[in-house]
Amino acid sequence: MNEEALLARATEERERIFQRYERGRDNLVGQIDPWEDPEFEDYHKTDRYGFIHDERLPQKTAPQKVNIEVEREKKWVKMLGTWDSPATQEKLHRRIYKGIPNSLRIKIWGKLLDVARLRAAHSGKYREMLTLARRWSTDVRQIDSDVNRQFREHQFYRARYSEKQCSLFHVLCAYAMYNAEVGYCQGMAGLAAVLLLYMDEEDAFWALAALLSNSKYAMHGLYIEGFPKLTRFLEHHDRILTKFMPKLKQHFDKFGLDAILYSLKWFFVCFVERVPFSLCLRVWDIYLLDGERVITAMAYTILKLHKKQIMKLNDMDLIVNYIQVKLHKDFGYPDDVVISALERSMEELKRARLDTPGPPPSKELPQRTLGVFVEPDNKSKIGQRAETFSETEKQARANVILRREKAALELQELRVSQSDTVSGNWDHSPPTSRSTSADSLDSHTWTHL
Amino acid sequence: MGTREDEYDYLFKVVLIGDSGVGKSSLLSRFTRNEFNLESKSTIGVEFATRSIEVDGKTIKAQIWDTAGQERYRAITSAYYRGAVGALLVYDIAKHLSYENVERWLRELRDHADQNILIMLVGNKSDLRHLRSIPTEEAKAFAEKNGLSFIETSALDSTNVEPAFQNILTEIYRIVSQKQMRDPPEGDVIRADVEPVDVRPQDSRKQCCQ
Repeated sequence: MNEEALLARATEERERIFQRYERGRDNLVGQIDPWEDPEFEDYHKTDRYGFIHDERLPQKTAPQKVNIEVEREKKWVKMLGTWDSPATQEKLHRRIYKGIPNSLRIKIWGKLLDVARLRAAHSGKYREMLTLARRWSTDVRQIDSDVNRQFREHQFYRARYSEKQCSLFHVLCAYAMYNAEVGYCQGMAGLAAVLLLYMDEEDAFWALAALLSNSKYAMHGLYIEGFPKLTRFLEHHDRILTKFMPKLKQHFDKFGLDAILYSLKWFFVCFVERVPFSLCLRVWDIYLLDGERVITAMAYTILKLHKKQIMKLNDMDLIVNYIQVKLHKDFGYPDDVVISALERSMEELKRARLDTPGPPPSKELPQRTLGVFVEPDNKSKIGQRAETFSETEKQARANVILRREKAALELQELRVSQSDTVSGNWDHSPPTSRSTSADSLDSHTWTHL
Repeated sequence: MGTREDEYDYLFKVVLIGDSGVGKSSLLSRFTRNEFNLESKSTIGVEFATRSIEVDGKTIKAQIWDTAGQERYRAITSAYYRGAVGALLVYDIAKHLSYENVERWLRELRDHADQNILIMLVGNKSDLRHLRSIPTEEAKAFAEKNGLSFIETSALDSTNVEPAFQNILTEIYRIVSQKQMRDPPEGDVIRADVEPVDVRPQDSRKQCCQ
């Protein structure tokens, strides 16, 4: 096929995908492939947030807790009336750490992210971006495929082309046009899907915009090419582990377990699908109030609370499964206990001046004016992968390799120093360390750096 | 999980690559857990799972690395190609673009993986007969021309998933065991050409996890 034909094919595909979301589920009867659409089954149970479970619900909400929440709601409603007063700002911290009542998240999250102001200040922008996306978006294919894989166990997202799936599609397409440097990056669907549980489409769009470009959250740097903010936060995470939990760090290193293998959803989507949803919402409440240092502290808290269990697991597979799967199903501690621990972690890290890796360097912030249309080049219109790595990609890749090698090297040094003092016989050193250390001396590596 | 999975003769690292949405994670869960989940999630970064199989009375532990298919993520995922002895390069038989991108994926492998990596081209979603856009013969010819093995699979109805993994693992085993016969590993010395393969006998391995 020549370029013209490839472009025509891409246009046709974008058009077809958009049309399906515009028509929505009710107008697509008989046109949705069965494998695309897991049937809603009555015998599943749906929890208070709308997630469907095969078995009994995790962490039942006790009746007295519901009463407490009703009492809290009253206080919160009152507080909403006097939002800008100094008294409210004073109370806010304490109350948010106790948890925002679920029925009021819709309002409070909007306040914390300043959604109403953004929406009013850029009136018409969302529609404009959506219209542009329909004509120009190069991210439609990826967004379409992720929309149908996001929260499929949730009653609102489950059905193909359901209202929520359509909203998610629109928000992501519009945002990809609004912030062309980021476009769409996998992970953003998770953020938008959570926001859409509490906001309408346009509010969710502005909330997403705030999460990416407001300096308090600055998630822009997480999603751009080369993931500079991820690199910076992972390094900081390693520093925290080395200082506060060196044994656990060695345990990870021993199995060649880089933080990339267990923590990406912590950083990219603020713990969505890594801790139970009720706890995730509590962390989001605090994140929206206090910003990125909450992520750093929560990452530390998770490992701190589960250190003993993790130290017992002697296999990379088991450790990752524990951190990613087991803790999502059952965190093992009541949410309130985790949040208290999180608060203590934040203080502890602050005392050690490790609460933040520092403000984002300018390259992690949007460089182009947001909301200004830039026509994509033909290559991205067609959708083929770029043939060669850009300098940024090469650098990011080198960073990942370097992190792994550094960990292997530190472990090797530790082994040497231990074998000097202890009468250890390291002739039969573990294969994991052997293969990684052989790796790290591999000349092939350094030529890439 | 939780069984004595750590007793094995060989550990082979295999990567699963290919465009987003072609079914890499589904192939992995079909092979390691014999599950197909309609509620599958997109993979962020890299994930992995293991399963052990027997070949010639030897236990081979396959450590399979699943990667995010979106181009943005290649800066991370390509760093995990190192040390892999096999790769399953997956496309969707119903999505022509995912097949067109195979050449680009091959290049990424050549640039970033070990030279001797064995590559198998996998046309997944063979259950979608009515939507097929890549004829089997075309992909087969392409694979032959490029020195890849080839198979069509369906993670959904589980057609050929087991053979796909078995074939590549067996092939890797043959190469490694022949190499060992030619140059038996001496004591603790790791040979560069066998370096990615963990070829330690069981008894010494047990000492690692005291």
